[in-house]
Amino acid sequence: MSACATACVVADDDLIELYERAPCGYLSVTPDGVIIRANLTFGRWSGYTVGELLGRRFSSLLALGSQLFYETRCLPVLLLAGELREVLLVLERPAQDALPILVNVDVVPDERARPRLMRIAVFDASARQDYEGELLGARLAAERSEAQVRVHQQATVSLGAGRTVAGVAAALSAIVRSASDAASATVMLVNDAGLLLDAVTPVSAPSPEVVPIDAQRPEAEAFRRGETITVSSLSDMERRYPAMADAVHRARLEAMMVTPLLDDESCLGVVVSLYGRRRTFPPEQIEMHIGLARQGAQALRLVRLQLQLRHMALHDQLTGLANRELLSSQLAESIRSAESSGRPMSLVFLDLDGFKSINDQLGHAAGDSVLVEVAQRIRSVVREDNLIARFGGDEFVVLCHDCDRRDAEQLSGRIGAAIRQPLAGIRDDLRVTASIGVACLAGRRGANGDDLLHAADGAMYRSKATGTDRTTIIDA
Amino acid sequence: MLSTDRNTAQRRNNVNEIGVPNGRPILFAHGFGCSQEMWRHVTPDFDDHRVVMFDHVGAGGSDLSAYDRAKYDSLHGYADDVLEIVNELDLRDVAYVGHSVGAMIGVLAATRAPSRFSDLVLVGPSPRYLNDGGYVGGFDQADIDRLLSSLDENYLGWSSVMGPVIMGNPHRPELSAELTESFCRTDPAIARHFAAVTFLSDNRRDLPHVVTPTLVIQCSDDAIAPLSVGTFVHQQITDSELVVLNATGHCPNLSAPAELSAVLRSRLERS
Repeated sequence: MSACATACVVADDDLIELYERAPCGYLSVTPDGVIIRANLTFGRWSGYTVGELLGRRFSSLLALGSQLFYETRCLPVLLLAGELREVLLVLERPAQDALPILVNVDVVPDERARPRLMRIAVFDASARQDYEGELLGARLAAERSEAQVRVHQQATVSLGAGRTVAGVAAALSAIVRSASDAASATVMLVNDAGLLLDAVTPVSAPSPEVVPIDAQRPEAEAFRRGETITVSSLSDMERRYPAMADAVHRARLEAMMVTPLLDDESCLGVVVSLYGRRRTFPPEQIEMHIGLARQGAQALRLVRLQLQLRHMALHDQLTGLANRELLSSQLAESIRSAESSGRPMSLVFLDLDGFKSINDQLGHAAGDSVLVEVAQRIRSVVREDNLIARFGGDEFVVLCHDCDRRDAEQLSGRIGAAIRQPLAGIRDDLRVTASIGVACLAGRRGANGDDLLHAADGAMYRSKATGTDRTTIIDA
Repeated sequence: MLSTDRNTAQRRNNVNEIGVPNGRPILFAHGFGCSQEMWRHVTPDFDDHRVVMFDHVGAGGSDLSAYDRAKYDSLHGYADDVLEIVNELDLRDVAYVGHSVGAMIGVLAATRAPSRFSDLVLVGPSPRYLNDGGYVGGFDQADIDRLLSSLDENYLGWSSVMGPVIMGNPHRPELSAELTESFCRTDPAIARHFAAVTFLSDNRRDLPHVVTPTLVIQCSDDAIAPLSVGTFVHQQITDSELVVLNATGHCPNLSAPAELSAVLRSRLERS
C-alpha cells in the first residue's frame, strides 16, 4: 500500500469521524421534511438514537410553538429562497429540557431544479438564547412600559382639550380604542333614564341607545357594581348574557370590556370596548382601562363644573333666569340679526307693583318666593326661544325675536294677566301686578342695546306713573 | 385623482393579475408567514383564467402604512379588504382559493357577500388552532406563546437589535431588515400581531353560515391543520367536499404544486 493510499484512508475515516462527531448536528431530509440521515451529534442532542430519527419529520422534533413557526414562516422562505440562515428553534427532547438550536438549511436541487433533498446544520444555541432572551425581555418590557406611559400622556392631552361633555366622551372613546386595538369603543353616561349611548360615537356597537340600570347587560352590571366586567368570547356571552349573544355575533364582535367611569365621588357611567375576536384580557390591560376611565371621569367632572360655573356666571341664582350680562350679549346679537334679516324685535321691560310691601311685611324669604313664582309665570306665557332675564330686584326683561308691535302687545297682555293672579300663601291684601314698558324695533338701523333698554325702561315708568298694572308700547 | 381613488384596494394590497382579463376570476389568498409568492408555482397553471393575487396588509408589497391595529385585530378586517378588492375589480362568480388563515378570511368574506363567490377552496384551513374542551385544534395557549416568542427572537430580537450591530451600520437598520428576508417580506411587529390574530381567533361559528360551494383541501400529514380539523370544517359547511392530498406538510402550494393544481383544476372544471 502506497503512502498516499494510507493517508487517503485515514482522511476518509477522519471525514466520517468529523461528520458523525462534529460540534454541530447534521441532517439530510426529503423535500417533505422527512429525516433520511443524521449524525451522532444530532442524535445525542435530540435524545434519540439515529435509527429512531430516520423516517421522522424534522419539524415533529420541535416544540409545538416552534413547529408552528417553522412550518408557517420558515418553510415557505426556504422553499422559495433555497436556503435558510440562523433560525432560532426549540428542540423538544424526551426526558430532558428543551434545547434552543440555531439552524441553517440548504435545498439541494435535482437536474430539473426541483428540490431533491435538504441539508440542515444544527448549532447548540443555549448560551446565545440566554443572552438574547435577557436582551429581548428587557427590551419588550421597556417598550411595554413606554407604551403605557404614552397612552396616559395622550389621554391627559386629549381629555384636557375637551370643552364639552360630548368632546371629552369622544376623546375617551378614541383613546380607549387605539390603546386596546378595539373594534369600537363607546362612552355611556348615566342619567335618570339609564346609561345613554353618547351621541357622537358611531353606532357599530350592539348597545341600544339607552340601557336601563337594572338591565341584564354588562354595561349595567359594571355600573351597578362599580367594577370592570369582561366578556371573553361568544360562549361566555351566551352563558352570562344570553339575550345579547346573537346581536353581538351579527355585529361581527366576540368580546367586550366595560369599565365604570369612577372618580372619587361617584360613577358617571361606563366606557365600553368591543373586540372582533375572542380573547383573555390580561390584568395589565384591565388596569389600563381602569386608569383611562378614571382620567376620563375626572375630565368629565371638570367639564361639567366649568359648564356649571359658566351657567352660574350668566344666570340669576334665585330664579334661574338670565342675568344682565347674558341679556346684554344676547340683546346685541338679536339687534344684529334683526338688522340683517329685516325682521322686527321687541324688548319687554317690567317692574312689579306692590312687591316692596310683601318684602317689608312678610320678610325677604316670602319676597324671594314671589320672585321665583313670577319668573315661573313669565316662562309659562312666553315663547321658548324668548330670553327672560332678571334685570334687578323686582325688574324683569323679555327679549323677543321676530316680534312686532301687535305681537308685543299680546305678549305683554299675557304677562300682565299671569302676574295679576293671586299668589298662593300670600295675604289677599298684598297683591302683585306688573307695570310694563315695551320698545319695538322695526326696520331702523344703528340701534344699540343700551338705547333699547333705556327706551323700554322709560315706557315702563310711564305705565307706573299712569296707574300701574298696564303696558306702554313705544317704537324705538 | 379619480383613477387613484378607484385603485385604493389594489395599491394597498399589491394586487397583481395574470391570465386572460375576461376569463373566469380566481382570487388567490396567502396565509400567515408569507405573501402572494406562496402561489408562484400554482398560478401559471391557471393562465386561461383571470388570476388575481394580492398581499394581506403587512405582507409582501402591501402598503404598510395602511396597517390599523384595531382594524386588523380580527380576521374581519382582512375579509373587508378581500371584499374591497372584489368590488374594485368588479369580480363576479369568483373562485376564492385561500391557504391556511387565508382560507378562514375567505369564509368570512363569502358569508358577508355570498353573491360574489361561486367557489370557496380552503387549503389547510383551521377555524380554531387552540384545543377547546372536546375540540382538538392541535395547540395550547403555551404553544402560541412559544410561537410569538419565536417571532420575537428571530425578527424583533435578531434582525432589529443584533442585525444593525453585525452589519456595522446601526444608523440604517433597514439594510439589515432587507437582508434577513428576500422572500415573504413582512414587518416584524405586524407579523407578531398577525400571528396572534391568526392563531388565537375562533371562527368555528362562522362555518355553518357558508352557503358557497366549498372544497376543503388537506395534506396527509399536516401538523398545523391536522386531518381532524379539515374533517370538522367539511362537516360544518353543508355544501362541501374534502380532498386529502398525498402531499405532506402545511404548504402544498410550494411542496406539491402539481398535485394541488390538478385537484383545483378538476374542481373548477366541474363547477
